[in-house]
Amino acid sequence: MRSQAMFFQRRSGEALADARLRRNLDGLRDKFVGMRARAVSAYADHGTATVPNPDFEALRDAGAAIRDRVLKDLDVWLELFEHKATQRGARVHWAKDGREICEHVLAIARQHGITKVIKSKSMLSEEAQLNVALTAAGIEPVETDLGEYILQISGNEPPSHILAPAAHKNLDEVADLFAEKHGKPKKTEIPALTREAREVLREHFLSAGMGISGGNFLIADTGSVALVTNEGNGRMVTTLPKVHVVITGIEKIVPTLEDFATLMRLLPRSATGQEISNYVSVCTGTKGEADADGPEHTYFILVDNGRAGLVGSEFQEMLRCIRCGACMNHCPVYQTVGGHAYGWVYPGPMGSVLTSLYTGLENALDLPHAATLCNQCGVVCPVRIPLAELQRKLREKQTERRLRPWTERAALGIWAWVAQRPALYALAAKLGVRYLRWLADGQNYIKVLGLAPGWTAGRDFPAPQEGTFRELYKRRQENRT
Amino acid sequence: MKVALFVTCLVDLMRPSVGFATLRLLESAGCNVHVPETQTCCGQPAFNSGDRQAALALARKTIAEFEGFDYLVAPSGSCADQIRTAYPGLFTDDPEWRRRAEALAARSYELTQFLVDVLNIQHVPGEFSGSVTYHDSCSGLRSLGIKAQPRQLLAQVPGLTLREMPEAEACCGFGGTFAVKFGDISAAIAETKCTNALAARADAVVGGDLGCLMNIEGKLRRMGDETTRVLHVAEVLAGAPAAPGGKAG
Repeated sequence: MRSQAMFFQRRSGEALADARLRRNLDGLRDKFVGMRARAVSAYADHGTATVPNPDFEALRDAGAAIRDRVLKDLDVWLELFEHKATQRGARVHWAKDGREICEHVLAIARQHGITKVIKSKSMLSEEAQLNVALTAAGIEPVETDLGEYILQISGNEPPSHILAPAAHKNLDEVADLFAEKHGKPKKTEIPALTREAREVLREHFLSAGMGISGGNFLIADTGSVALVTNEGNGRMVTTLPKVHVVITGIEKIVPTLEDFATLMRLLPRSATGQEISNYVSVCTGTKGEADADGPEHTYFILVDNGRAGLVGSEFQEMLRCIRCGACMNHCPVYQTVGGHAYGWVYPGPMGSVLTSLYTGLENALDLPHAATLCNQCGVVCPVRIPLAELQRKLREKQTERRLRPWTERAALGIWAWVAQRPALYALAAKLGVRYLRWLADGQNYIKVLGLAPGWTAGRDFPAPQEGTFRELYKRRQENRT
Repeated sequence: MKVALFVTCLVDLMRPSVGFATLRLLESAGCNVHVPETQTCCGQPAFNSGDRQAALALARKTIAEFEGFDYLVAPSGSCADQIRTAYPGLFTDDPEWRRRAEALAARSYELTQFLVDVLNIQHVPGEFSGSVTYHDSCSGLRSLGIKAQPRQLLAQVPGLTLREMPEAEACCGFGGTFAVKFGDISAAIAETKCTNALAARADAVVGGDLGCLMNIEGKLRRMGDETTRVLHVAEVLAGAPAAPGGKAG
């Protein structure tokens, strides 16, 4: 997906002006935040106990430790995975970037004479713009995750949330879309709409020669891919077609099934507030002789696309991410502008960090700054990624590479220079207060602040009291002696 | 007990009454309070903007000014967090300064944290007739763990009723320079916060960080609310008159 991240200001402005989107986002926030909170407080029968729940906090520690253990020796775990997966009849390919993902998929499709592909959700295929490549090669891609399907028939819209790709749309918008695209009478109930989508998709499930899925985890010890879904489409995609292609990032690996089980205690609770998702599939190798179903050919495409460069760097913690979406669900900025404003595949706090690191700092200048650093993301992250701190570090990187606008650098430079000179600073503060009080013109609030129009566009600026603290304190001390 | 008051640049500039209220609280608790004259800013705006060099320079300056006292106390969770949490990490390659930064960090407190966790005070001088709702500021809450302390102190104020707002822990949208760089998003987040604050139907919104309070007050007024007062927790606890200069206007 071509990044639009440099247009964050404009795109977030459009989002703010979209009243329907704002209402949809409000509903989403209440739902996701509430569901996670209930799941976390109920964890380990903690009932109504303290917040934060100590058992869940210990679980977060365990999750972070598993991810760190993998990242420390990522190459070793990947080699083990390749070995085990190959032993079970799968083929493992490596892709450096999105272009190589597409090349591998197209080569596999050609080899098996594929004309139609069914897909369950894969953010990597978004990174690679795989659907565009498939379509150009004459292969029909069909998204089977309900959200992704909605976006595909809505003119190939990009997802706005990593779990709920169509989170920006409400029921009525989807009902209108289905009526138009399916040529059927408009339905107003969710079950009727999902049934209608199922009927359309069933045809594709039975006629596609290849299924493409992402992978929530790769299990090194068994050479398996684990899929966590709620709709069951993932299971169809991975078992019905004769060819199954798994596309995942190289960081998705965990050592053992037991580690997977630990992370599964964290993932659904953090993501949707479920104790367990509706479907958890662990797929190993190809269809065996005793198996009733399963693919005859299994391929893994393990993708770098910027990940290897983070290993050993000060941003390595970002690779712990298990894609639960809790950070965006709890982010005041995401809650206000939604996912599309971020401009690339991943939105919210994790998206600001990943977009900067994977597409280049210079292509996402606003993203690390588009955060209040409230750290609600860091507090809910199931694997304790210090997301606010990583965003702040990215700001440092931008400064080091002189990517910030000169006006901002100059303002900051002058301020810092003055702040190191107390006498000058005291004078500047005194004059600043005089100036602000002159602007306030006897009122308690300033309606338009020329130096910071961003502030007063949406709120008043409280006028300062008369005199700085240091002036008044000095006067007080003099009066006392 | 020699306590140095870290006024914070925002209180110095915008609302000295918060500084005087803090002084009164500390003095009435028996502290020998000093106000180092050369203090300016802790450097957090530079730190959060990614200007590490400027942040380092201001950290060195603040450490040198405040390390000679038993405690540093600031009427701000955000500034206290900068000194407690960020300072030591700034000096990764400088063991001597790191030691000094850690020594100061360990003795630096946000006001309500200091009054409760260190002094364990049981009586505050203030009085307040009416209800307040408390906004938990992000750094204080999520980094320093300040949640119970301000409420415990407010409960000691005669005549005051605390009415919790929904989502008291949610960010108000201030975020320092974020409020100016992304003013429209910041104001939209502030609107959510203010709607929640108004739902508490309290006479005043109270908090521990002036940045958040200016954001909330500015948004409330723009939303047409003229009556809900917005006060720093120090002002409520001290019950002090406004600063010698009086209110604006």
